[in-house]
Parts: sequence; structure tokens; C-alpha cells
Amino acid sequence: MMDVGRHPRIELFAYSEVAEVDGYVGNFKVKVRKKARYVREEDCSSCAECAEVCPVAVPDEFQMGLSSRKAIYLPFPQAVPASYIIDMEACLGTNPIACGKCEEVCEKVCIDYDMKDEIVELEVGVIVAATGMDVYDPTELDEYCYTRYDNVITSMEFERLICAGGATEGHFVRPSDHEVPQRIAFIQCVGSRNNAGDKGNAYCSNICCMNTVKDTLLLRDHYPDCECTVFYMDIRSFGKGFEDLYMRSREEGVKYIRGIPGEIREDPATKNLTLTAENTLTGEVVEEEFDLVVLSVGVIPRHDSPTIKKLLTLSTTGDGFYMEAHPKLKPVDTPTRGVYICGCAESPKDVKDSVTQASAAAARAIALLNAGEVKAEAITAAIDPAACTGCGLCAKVCPFNAIEVDKERKTAWVIGAMCMGCGNCGATCNQDAVTMGHFTDAQYYAQMDALIDETAADKIFTFACNWCSYAGADNAGISRLPYPPTARLVRTMCSARVTEDFVLYAFMKGSPIVLVSGCHFADCHYIDANRQTVKRVYRLWDKLEKLGIRPERLQLEWVSAAEGRKFAQVMHAVEELRQQVTAEEIEHTVKVLTEEWEKKLAREAKRKKKAETDESRDEVHVS
Amino acid sequence: MSPETKFTCLRCGHEYVEEYAPDDDVERACPKCRSNSVRPEKVKKKADAAEEK
Amino acid sequence: MSEEKTTAVATEEDLRIGVFVCDCGLNIAGTVDTAAVTEYAETLPRVVAVIRNRYTCADPGQNEIKTAIKEHNLNRVVVASCSPLMHEPTFRACVASEGLNPYLMEMANLREHCSWVHGDDKEGATQKAKDLVKSAVARAGRLEAREESSVPVAQAALVIGGGVAGIQASLDLAGAGYQVYLVEKEPSIGGIMAALDKTYPTMDCSI
Repeated sequence: MMDVGRHPRIELFAYSEVAEVDGYVGNFKVKVRKKARYVREEDCSSCAECAEVCPVAVPDEFQMGLSSRKAIYLPFPQAVPASYIIDMEACLGTNPIACGKCEEVCEKVCIDYDMKDEIVELEVGVIVAATGMDVYDPTELDEYCYTRYDNVITSMEFERLICAGGATEGHFVRPSDHEVPQRIAFIQCVGSRNNAGDKGNAYCSNICCMNTVKDTLLLRDHYPDCECTVFYMDIRSFGKGFEDLYMRSREEGVKYIRGIPGEIREDPATKNLTLTAENTLTGEVVEEEFDLVVLSVGVIPRHDSPTIKKLLTLSTTGDGFYMEAHPKLKPVDTPTRGVYICGCAESPKDVKDSVTQASAAAARAIALLNAGEVKAEAITAAIDPAACTGCGLCAKVCPFNAIEVDKERKTAWVIGAMCMGCGNCGATCNQDAVTMGHFTDAQYYAQMDALIDETAADKIFTFACNWCSYAGADNAGISRLPYPPTARLVRTMCSARVTEDFVLYAFMKGSPIVLVSGCHFADCHYIDANRQTVKRVYRLWDKLEKLGIRPERLQLEWVSAAEGRKFAQVMHAVEELRQQVTAEEIEHTVKVLTEEWEKKLAREAKRKKKAETDESRDEVHVS
Repeated sequence: MSPETKFTCLRCGHEYVEEYAPDDDVERACPKCRSNSVRPEKVKKKADAAEEK
Repeated sequence: MSEEKTTAVATEEDLRIGVFVCDCGLNIAGTVDTAAVTEYAETLPRVVAVIRNRYTCADPGQNEIKTAIKEHNLNRVVVASCSPLMHEPTFRACVASEGLNPYLMEMANLREHCSWVHGDDKEGATQKAKDLVKSAVARAGRLEAREESSVPVAQAALVIGGGVAGIQASLDLAGAGYQVYLVEKEPSIGGIMAALDKTYPTMDCSI
């Protein structure tokens, strides 16, 4: 921590927030709000005179509220920057008549009641998001009565009670009577591994088992007479040196009972607590009294992580932690180029893993900085300003915020360096104003014309996304998993590139079956672009049904790059469906859709004509 | 809580009920044949209603 | 002559497409009748040269592409071999070395998507291979040159969050010589780690 404070190339903005992020990889423009701390940090020598005279005492959040601090305070003794700060919500007032005692005693004159928030603008090439975690609040778990019973504490409160620099200066006492507890119980998985889904989280928080093992060893070291009992589901001591530590704890006489207590009862007179649990190894019911119960609480995503997610265009996994670009091969990259993640923002992890991942994120960032330049994607979208009406639909579906819209001038444009080329905008635009570089409409129609010929009835026309389903088909090949040779694949970068017109055109040309395939939701290479695929397919099913075409003839499948087996199975299943499509059916479809297509072309011609006359009128107006 | 909606699998024809809202971020598959071609009834109804109008 | 093969979009009449059909030893030719595919490719519109290679990706195969680009003045190349996820970079580099824009090269996937999965139906596989070549040729005719641009990288990093991960990332970045801006929401850095007493597995102090 001190190293950060004194490093010449690290500028620290403490008590600050990222307010705005603009730009793109290599060229981010960031606005940071430096909140007023009312003490000039560069001048403060943390002499503590101010806090001594401050008349206000409030609960100290660093000590988990177990002791108090003043309204002007140092967050904790080793704080960096080593500067006091005024808690304006607690301060009696900056008016000297109200108080002003701290300002009177400050010899270095570094207290400034008039300090204002300040906005600092930065230009950076890369961003590392290490936004950390919050601790699960067990209040909602009625069975543990965390807020009702004095002697039920969380593992974070335990840290501050056992710490020499803690609320009780390391005297480990229980809250009800300030006596040293003799019988201490730990309850594991509080807020974690709950699959019922109502309270807490389904995932394992990763660190709580070892944290409790550590706590029992600390207790046995400081208070050799104390008795520790751990109630657990499984002890997960999987890391280097972890099993040794766990065994040491057992050798120290710590009792481990495999079973989670269903409830805690308090004796109102002694404030002692009785736990009842079924030992799932022996089948016996254990009922025991303790002086103190520690809830080993889990890790949750930081409450403000959605804000940063939005600022940096990140995505999250179902549990709320930031999602990596690839779970194995790009574990610290994100879908936004130039943005990296590490620490508990990515998933619950301990200090060692956080440090390891932070170094990995730094190395990835350094590689980019060191390269000095980034190649922009050559496969990008372009918007024809003449055709664009500035409706903004494209910007709404762009997963990378790469499109800017000027509603007044009725136009939109693509920021090339931010566009990743998924084609979602191209499939959304209903003015045909978007051209997808290297994957143009004309190229797709040429391919459809080539594949859907006089033998169309024997083929399954398939759109496969580059990253997953096309690669999944490759995987079927590499694994030699046979499927009928009726499949005809056309590659799209993302399934969201597939426009409704493409599908209708394929049917119009005589395809018995059209298959749209893409990545599983969690794998989408364009953050969440394939959610639009689903919406389009839903609309297409409705439309087909309305036109008297069986919606079953349009199939949708998610196939990952590793799912060669699934791809082959899908092709077998879809082939069965193809064989059920009759020649009469196809004939009817071709007829109906050809009529629809002609109507569409007529509509477009009319629109274009209107646009042209509007334009010439505009020109006259200008001249 | 999203309302319960009837889904029809367009591969095997299986019908089942699941919570569904247009913007929920859930990957769906038929519980019987695992196909992702599952169609919510709600969308269908809306289209029909629009047609009736 | 070389100006003609560079970036400008060719009109339909100007198109000169070369098709290279790969046997991949027996990987493709064992199932797909590549001779028939070659013959078929010759009948496709705008195709001016079709060459069958034993291994198109190997140096002799690549040289055949390069020579053909020169000899036949090709402005589009279709390689009918394996998956583009495997060899697209290879063949893009190959055509680029002859001055052709790399985005004017298209692949037909005759191996992963055809011969390897339809070994039990040689006729069906050959028919499919022809279709895949036809589709690739159709697409090749519509390809346009693309330019990769590059943008400079500002030589500074923003680290959001001053817990143990943010601290480590900042120190590494700064240690590598880059300017780092570390933004922490709380009045002090340290995060959750600073509130811990001792940390496992070494049982040492957290700060």
C-alpha cells in the first residue's frame, strides 16, 4: 500500500469515482470526480490533533461499527493517503459558530470547509477494473438472528475483534458482556451454496472455508483454552498449503461437524447460544451451547458494480460478477477491448489469487501499451448518411456503444475503432442504411442464390456464427461425427447478423428448412448481441405463421465451439424435419413470399423516391 | 417475477410452462429434446390480437 | 498490370476468379471426388483458373496460388480446402504477398464441414463440396477490398479500485514504466484486505 503512495508514476485519486468513460481501446477519455474531503491531503501530516478536539463520535465502519471514530478521522492507521477526512454527514457544521474546533487546532492549516468536488479529465490507453467485492449481509436469514442476538457475529467482525489494531485492541471479547468467549462456533456457507434460490447465492464463495480454518488457528494460538467447533457442508481446502493448514486446525483439537445448523436459540439470561444440527456423517443430532457464533459469510458482487459495468460496457455472469472474454483462454480480458478485470470483481477469490490475476491483467494491459498501436477491426459497419433517418435503432442494439446518433440532423455514424463487426445494426436497420464490411447483404444474397437452386428441397440452409456454431461444425468434423450431407452452412460473424429478410429470402427461393445457429448466451462474442437473434426469430415465427407457413421450418440452435456432438445431433434432427416438408408446401411458401417480397420492393422504391424528392427539395431550400 | 408462459418446442412438439418476460436474459431449451427452438405462446397471442384488430 | 489487381472494386466483367481445390492428401480426396469438383469449378461464371493441389496450405500449394495470380491476372481467389478458422490467415497472407488485398480471398470448407463428416456418403459429399465451391465463388465475386487501420495507444492506464488487486495491477503497470491513475472510492486504498487481521495460508499480516 505504501508503495502505491510513493510511486512516482502512480497518481492516486482516493475518495474519487469514475464519472464518465468515453472513447475506445487505446484512446479512453475518462472523467474522475475527486470528492471533497475537506482536508488538503498533500498538507495533512495526520498528527491527530483535529480528531482529539472533534466533539462528534460515530460508529467506525473500518471496525465494522464495533468501535467509534470522530467526524474528522483517519480511515485506519496505515491509510494511504495518510490524510484525515471530514465526514460531512456527521460534522456539526462548517460554520465556525457551530463548531470549527478542528480548524482552530490544525497547525498546518490544511482544513478547508469550502472544498468542492473536482472533475479531473484523463486520457488512458487501457483500463483495469479491480472494483472488488462486498460481504454478504446475513440479516435476511431468520434462522441465525444475526441482528437480534448480540453474540452472533460475522467473519468480518471477527477479523476486527481478533486484530491487534481492531476495535478492542486485540482483546477477543464477545459483544454482550465483553468477556472472552470459551466456546466458539463457526457456521460455514452463510449466504453461499444455497440452491433454493430464495436467499443468498448458489455459488461457492471460495474463501470462507480457509478463512475459518485460519480463524480457528488464530483463536487456538491466542487463547489455548478455547474450544472451537466448525459446522460445515464440505471443507474446500484445495490450494497450495491449504490442506496442511486444515489438518493443523484439526490437530489443534478444533471440532469439525458436517452439518449446517437449522437455527440458533439464545438464552435470554446468559446470552449464550444453542445450535442444533444433524451430523450428516453419523446421522446424529448435535445440540450444543456456545458463547459466541461466527457466521462465515460469503462474497457478493460490489453493490456499485452495475455502474462500472455500464461505464465500461462490460457484461456479467448470472451471479453478477464481471464476465471474462473467454473463461479459459482470455480470463482477464473483457468483451470491450482495452478493458481488463481482476480480483473479486471477476469472482470471489483470496489475496493470492487476486494478486496473481492482477499481475495477469497488468501484463495484458502492458502488452497493449507496449505495442503502441491497435489494429482496428477491418470488418466494421458503415452507415450511409443519405439513407439513414437517424432513428437510432442501430445504436440501441449495438453491444459496444459504437454508434452515435444525431437526432436533429437525422443521421448516425459508426466509430470504427469501437465497432467489432457483429452486424447486429445491419440486421436491425430497416432503411438498408448499414453496410457490414466483408459481410454485406449482397454477398449473402449471392451465396443464397448459389446454394438455393433447383436442388434446394434437398438442402438445409444454415446460418452459423463464426465463433461458436461454425466452429462447432468444425469440431464435429475434427471428431469425425457424421451427419447427413444435406447441410449447407453460411458463415456470419454473429447470429445477430441474420436479418429477417435473409430468412424470408431463403424460404422464398425454396428452402424447406432454415436453421439459424449461434453461441450459447454465456459465450456470445459480442457481449449479448445474440439476444437480438432470439427476438428476430420470435418475430419470424409469428410472421411465418401469419402467412400460413409452418413456423417449425425455421429452427434456432445454440452450439458452442466444443459441441461438435450437439451440432451433429442438431443436423440429424433437422434433417428429419426437412423430410417432412412437402413439395406442395414449398410451392405455397414460394408463392406467398414472392408476393410479399414484391410488395416490399414496391414499398422500398416508393420510399426511395420520396427520399429523393425530399432531398432535392432540401437542396433547393439550401441554395 | 415473470409470468408463467406456455412454450412449444418447434422440433419435437413438446409443450411446457416456464416463467417468461420479453427482456429476461435466459437461454431456453426444450426440457424433452433439448432443442433451442422453443416458442413462447405470449408472442403468438399478441400477434393474433393485432391481427384481430 | 499490377494496378488492376489492387483495391478498386471490380465490375462483374472484370472479375477473374481462381479456384484452388485441395486434396489434403486423402483427408478430402478420400471422400470427395476432387477431380469432379475441379471440373465443376471450371464451369462456374468468372472462374478463369482452377488448380487442384495435394496440399494447398503447404509451400508448393501456396506457390501455385502465387503463380496463378500472376499468370492469370486473378483478382479473386477461392481456396476450397479446410476451415477458414484454421487457414484463413495463411491464405490471406499468401494472396497479399502477390499484392492482392487479403479480403479478396474466400474459402470453402471441404474438410471439417464435408469430407470428415460425410465419409459414409461419397456422392452426397461430392455434391455438397460442389455446392460449397459454388457458394464461395458467388461470394468471392462480391468481395471488396478492406483496409485494416490502426490507432495509437495512449501511454497511460486507469485502474479502478484500490484493493489488493488494484494495488498489484497499478504497481505492475507503473513498474513497467507506464503512467497509472488509480481511482479508489473510499478515503484510503486497501479495500477488504486492509480489514483482515491475518491472511491464509501463511498466517501473516494483511497490510
